[in-house]
Amino acid sequence: MALHGFNFRAMAAEHELQLHCEDAGLARAAAVRAMEEVARIEAKYSRYRPETLVSRINAAAGGDFVAIDAETEGLLDYADASWRQSAGLFDATSGVLRRAWRFDVERVPTEAELAPLLALIGWDRVERSPGRVRLASPGMELDFGGFGKEYAVDRAALALREGGIGSAVVSLAGDVVVLGPQPDGAPWRVGIRHPRREGAVVATLPIASGALATSGDYERFIEVDGERHCHILDPRTGRSARGFQSVSVLAPTCLVAGSATTIAMLKGRDAGLAWLRGLGLDHLCVLDDGSVVSSFARG
Amino acid sequence: MHSGSEAPGSLHALSRAALALPILAIPVEAGAAEIGEMGFTILGYKERGLMKVVEPVLWGKARIGETWEVQANVALDIVSGASPEGVSNISGTPVQLVSAASVTDRRYLGDVRVSRRMGELTLGISRSFSEENDYRSHAYGIEARWDLNERNTTLAFGYGQSADSIGSTLEPTLDERRDTREYLFGVTQVLSRFDLVQSTVTVARGRGWFNDPYKFTRTFYPDGAPAFLFDLRPSSRDSFAWLTRYRRHVPGADGTLQAEYRYYSDDWDVRAHTLEVAWQQSLGERWAVRPALRYHTQGAARFYSPVVPRPAPAELSSDPRLAAFGGISTSVRGILKLDGGLLIELTVGNVHNTRDFRAGGNGSPTYPTLQAWYGILGISRPF
Amino acid sequence: MRAWVAVALLACAGCAPVAPYQRAYLARPDMALDASPGMMRAMERTFSAKEAANGGSSVGGGGCGCN
Repeated sequence: MALHGFNFRAMAAEHELQLHCEDAGLARAAAVRAMEEVARIEAKYSRYRPETLVSRINAAAGGDFVAIDAETEGLLDYADASWRQSAGLFDATSGVLRRAWRFDVERVPTEAELAPLLALIGWDRVERSPGRVRLASPGMELDFGGFGKEYAVDRAALALREGGIGSAVVSLAGDVVVLGPQPDGAPWRVGIRHPRREGAVVATLPIASGALATSGDYERFIEVDGERHCHILDPRTGRSARGFQSVSVLAPTCLVAGSATTIAMLKGRDAGLAWLRGLGLDHLCVLDDGSVVSSFARG
Repeated sequence: MHSGSEAPGSLHALSRAALALPILAIPVEAGAAEIGEMGFTILGYKERGLMKVVEPVLWGKARIGETWEVQANVALDIVSGASPEGVSNISGTPVQLVSAASVTDRRYLGDVRVSRRMGELTLGISRSFSEENDYRSHAYGIEARWDLNERNTTLAFGYGQSADSIGSTLEPTLDERRDTREYLFGVTQVLSRFDLVQSTVTVARGRGWFNDPYKFTRTFYPDGAPAFLFDLRPSSRDSFAWLTRYRRHVPGADGTLQAEYRYYSDDWDVRAHTLEVAWQQSLGERWAVRPALRYHTQGAARFYSPVVPRPAPAELSSDPRLAAFGGISTSVRGILKLDGGLLIELTVGNVHNTRDFRAGGNGSPTYPTLQAWYGILGISRPF
Repeated sequence: MRAWVAVALLACAGCAPVAPYQRAYLARPDMALDASPGMMRAMERTFSAKEAANGGSSVGGGGCGCN
């Protein structure tokens, strides 16, 4: 079987599909299905385009209910489960903090700037009834950024499987799903990006199948006074997550792996490591001091 | 995988919600994570008129699983060119004699270190060897590190033991031993967000054969027969070394100060001070330059003498290594970071040892001035 | 002199500790106390063969037959 690789750009980042298939035409057809699925999800749940479903829900905040389809309902159910299991740390309404945290300026927002935004955060103020959703107060926002990419990878993997592909890797800006091992049975070697060294890996994992998600403090950050503030923000305080440079988790779905990494980053070093161990999922964390904790053992 | 405690319910709840969506649950199958770094370094060293050394080194370190770390390196030391044999005053004043033949010596070195982290305590063991045709050394070490105070303070304890076998290509029947035990205690302390300091004390006790089988002293007297004495040193050496290292980052200048001071004293009456100061200056994202200055001063061993006194003593060595002298070494290192984590470092330096540089004067009058240049090229990358 | 430094170090142990998230500068490669294994070996080789004072940073390193 030949290895076919496809690169494409979506969600403002570079993505990659690698798959084994005897037939180049079949490979291409499956890859196109996967890439189209990613584009569809980006279009549907993007905050940036005013006509998308999410933008319409946000525009109606404090007003009428907005009708939603089964897929969106399922994603909101997932966001709800993540909120419950993280005791409120994973909150899909925390996107408003973006208005105070401008990562292109080296400046930490003050309490006075954060307070009015914190007042707009609270998943428990998202009102839902079957097929409809409403944000209770004007100014509140739903942000699918915390799980939209992970959902897209999972959907892309499904598209490949439905296209007849059994051995493939889908990578969306670092979130990876491995459908199955290479034809000779060998695992794929997946590199986890080094949180501090450009272009380097901190570890290489041999993965035969599974979904690997990574959250890091290096994706968007500022450094002020020797302290790093990253884009993963605590919805209760509005402040940056601390304790980890990056967290990577391997799970059967990228959605679950991604929630695990985000929640671990927000819980901080000791509580985050305890949370990951309690989940029972394999993880590799780079702590704030650069040391590495890995649960992956020789199988 | 680890068994869950409070959160198996969490995984179940998240998984149920995820699989209500039209996606796949893919069974998880993965091996151990490979985390490490490896590199190659090559040293080229040339003394004016004397020997040349080339030493390539291959090294690697890796983390295995959650708690283990392994480090290993191998090196080949190749010495060629003229080497000093002995000291003779046939010309009136004692001068160093240099062997006429140019010999190439090869030495093979290696060491392995394995450590395990258990909470705040890290335990490590190491094994190293050095082999050449007239010298073998095998050593063991154990080390314990204890992190305190949120890792602001680290205590280190170490013990090492080495067994050396000394022979001679000039005298094939020579087969002597030397055993050394070392004890180490160190403290590393974070002082602030910008600086830290480490101070380590090492006590070593050596017993056995310390003579250099290739060195001798020949002294001619205005009256009487000349004396010839092979290198004769005590059969024990107890030493104390205290090394302090300091690092300070200066954000305004985008540079880091690196300083190091070592005090050394042993029961051969050698006292030495070594001070090195360096400044690593960042020049943009990829480049850095590091000029450094090293000053070394030492007193002579009590049995050091370039001439054999009368009557001939039981211990005597004219080895310039044991003389009183001072040395100034300057160096510059260029550092380049490339994509993929590849790091290239090139150091060029000069070593200048003379009797005049000794602190406080009183350098050994016949100490042969040493002038040497060295270059070190290092390449490393993570894997 | 030695006693003074020892006291200074112990006193610093009581200083306000630097929290892990404040270690951005301390984690820089140029702040590392040890250079790479290859560089450390090369520097030691350059000086140890010509000086009487050796060691001080680690144990179990074995001897050198350099003449």
